[in-house]
Amino acid sequence: MTLLRLHKVKRTYSTRQGLFGETEQVSAVNGVSLSLERGRTVGLVGESGCGKSTTGRLALGIELPDSGDVTFDGTRLPHPNTKAWKALRRRMQLIFQDPLGALDRRLTIGAQIKEPLAIHKIGSPADHEGQVHRLLAAVGMRPDQAASYPHELSGGQRQRAILARALATSPDILVCDEPVSALDVSIQAQVVNLLLDLQKEFGLAMLFISHDLKLVGCLAHEVAVMYLGLIVEQGEPATLYNEPAHPYTKALLAAVPDSTRRGPRPLLSGEPPNPAARPTGCAFHPRCPIAVPKCSQVEPALLPRADGRLVACHLAHVESAAGEKVS
Amino acid sequence: MKGSRGDRLSSADRDPAGATPLLELRGLTVSVGHLPVVAGLNLKIARGEAVGIVGESGSGKSVTWLAVLGLLPGSLAVEGEALLEAENIIGASEQRLSQVRGGRVGLIFQDPISSLNPVQRVGAQVIEALRLHRGLRGYAARTEARRLFELVGIPDAERRLDRYPHELSGGQNQRVMIAMALAGEPELLVADEPTTALDVTIQAQILALIERLRREMNMSLVLISHDLSVVAEVCDRIVVMYAGQIMETGSTRSLFASPSHPYTKGLLGAAPVLAQKPQRLASIRGHVPEPWNMPPGCPFEPRCPYAMPACSAARPLLSNLAPDHQSACIRAGELPALARHGPT
Repeated sequence: MTLLRLHKVKRTYSTRQGLFGETEQVSAVNGVSLSLERGRTVGLVGESGCGKSTTGRLALGIELPDSGDVTFDGTRLPHPNTKAWKALRRRMQLIFQDPLGALDRRLTIGAQIKEPLAIHKIGSPADHEGQVHRLLAAVGMRPDQAASYPHELSGGQRQRAILARALATSPDILVCDEPVSALDVSIQAQVVNLLLDLQKEFGLAMLFISHDLKLVGCLAHEVAVMYLGLIVEQGEPATLYNEPAHPYTKALLAAVPDSTRRGPRPLLSGEPPNPAARPTGCAFHPRCPIAVPKCSQVEPALLPRADGRLVACHLAHVESAAGEKVS
Repeated sequence: MKGSRGDRLSSADRDPAGATPLLELRGLTVSVGHLPVVAGLNLKIARGEAVGIVGESGSGKSVTWLAVLGLLPGSLAVEGEALLEAENIIGASEQRLSQVRGGRVGLIFQDPISSLNPVQRVGAQVIEALRLHRGLRGYAARTEARRLFELVGIPDAERRLDRYPHELSGGQNQRVMIAMALAGEPELLVADEPTTALDVTIQAQILALIERLRREMNMSLVLISHDLSVVAEVCDRIVVMYAGQIMETGSTRSLFASPSHPYTKGLLGAAPVLAQKPQRLASIRGHVPEPWNMPPGCPFEPRCPYAMPACSAARPLLSNLAPDHQSACIRAGELPALARHGPT
């Protein structure tokens, strides 16, 4: 069941180079469609500046798209900071990378978990104490840790506390923006396992945003690869990871550190591109090892292939059409 | 994991018995008050050898190298020896240390933006290093700086010399840091999480660059990382640290083929692999002990799935499993039988 749907959302920012420079339009998200379903996770991957975090904020309605729309349970998201939006917000929660920055240093963990309960008037204040303990237990923390301040906890425990706070409003959707990037692998594994358990228990729909393909593969039922504000390939991790169709997906996979690799690997040359200077045609063509003249002229559409995935590459389209003729 | 690396020499091949290591740490101890955060570390780095240091935050992997290079604040006491060939640089004068840092030993840190001077052009910063360590000035220094920029793959090097750090991307700033570290023609490059803050595509470029430079210039490399797969790609030998001690060390091949410390096995199990559907990771329970909360015996004992009463009796010492493989676990011999870490 589709809970949240982004339909061709676009978001452009205006920036200025220097104090007196000309303003320029930076297209952060350039027409992205995604669906989140109950009990399932969509992983969003790409380099910095590809628009994955902006997509997450658009999904939550923290920002409004310039065009396209976001619907939650069939109705369009209301304007931010309106009453209707605030009511919806309890059903959608965001957790992000820096657990210390997301917590208030002057309040105990318990007080911070209680806050959303009070704001959204969930249960009676008398029940809140018990609810805090239940939430702490759900994320594997002890009841006495409700009295701790953020600085008294380790990085992993802080991330757990943030999860407990996010779960306080019994959300349907969790958007996780690089939630474990700052953690050690052993703690990262604990948080990944916790997210899997919580999803199973509460049927959460999750959007998991990360630059780490390995991590996304552990959590996601579906992976979308973004490049300069567009999804270039989308499908099940097994399909994408085993047989990437888009040259950018191939390049990302080749860049993943692998202790079993022998010899040099194909390296993607160049830097992540600047969204303010979007190349014509396929945005990836200046870095693409197999680009043909058409790639710099015509923007490829995101089209389905026989195996169910979507891909936006002229050459992959030709390849798939040829394959279908043969079969 | 069958990482057969036929193209690489193991440390044993590179370091014939009797050859003086480039750097040798003997009983290196760093303490806050009376609490050791690095506890009696012994380690040899051979010429041309690439050694990876892995462990979680708080394992002492960075502190060790800051101590060696005299970069720790005075509140931390450093004991033991760090022999750079015959010279002990622990407790050396600040003047001597500043010759060593950036001279025989180059340094790269995780966050290039905060290591570079934000109000000085990047070229001037490299030229400064060339003046300090090689006495180059004027045109010669600028020419050499441009050559270094080209060497580390900065496009349009001549113009980039005149840029400020904030005008360059994270990846390019890291290349500037590497150029600066190479300015003194170091024999040893110490890289502390050099790619952690970078995109995966740029991380791959920087690792390939470090690997290439090390071979071309026959440098030794110490690569500090929390990511075993990163060090495995670049290093001949891996040192696994925990609570300020070495838990296991061995050639990259043998460490991955037969991890012989439960902590190494834990790190390998917790690291995500390219999974194809949602799956749980083998997490290590608990967390790294604080220096004031150190268990009496093996520091990993409270988190270890294979712990026995004997483990808390005394701190286990590193013992040989093979000529190029040592573990500080009293059950090291039984571990492969207890549970073999499967291939990824």
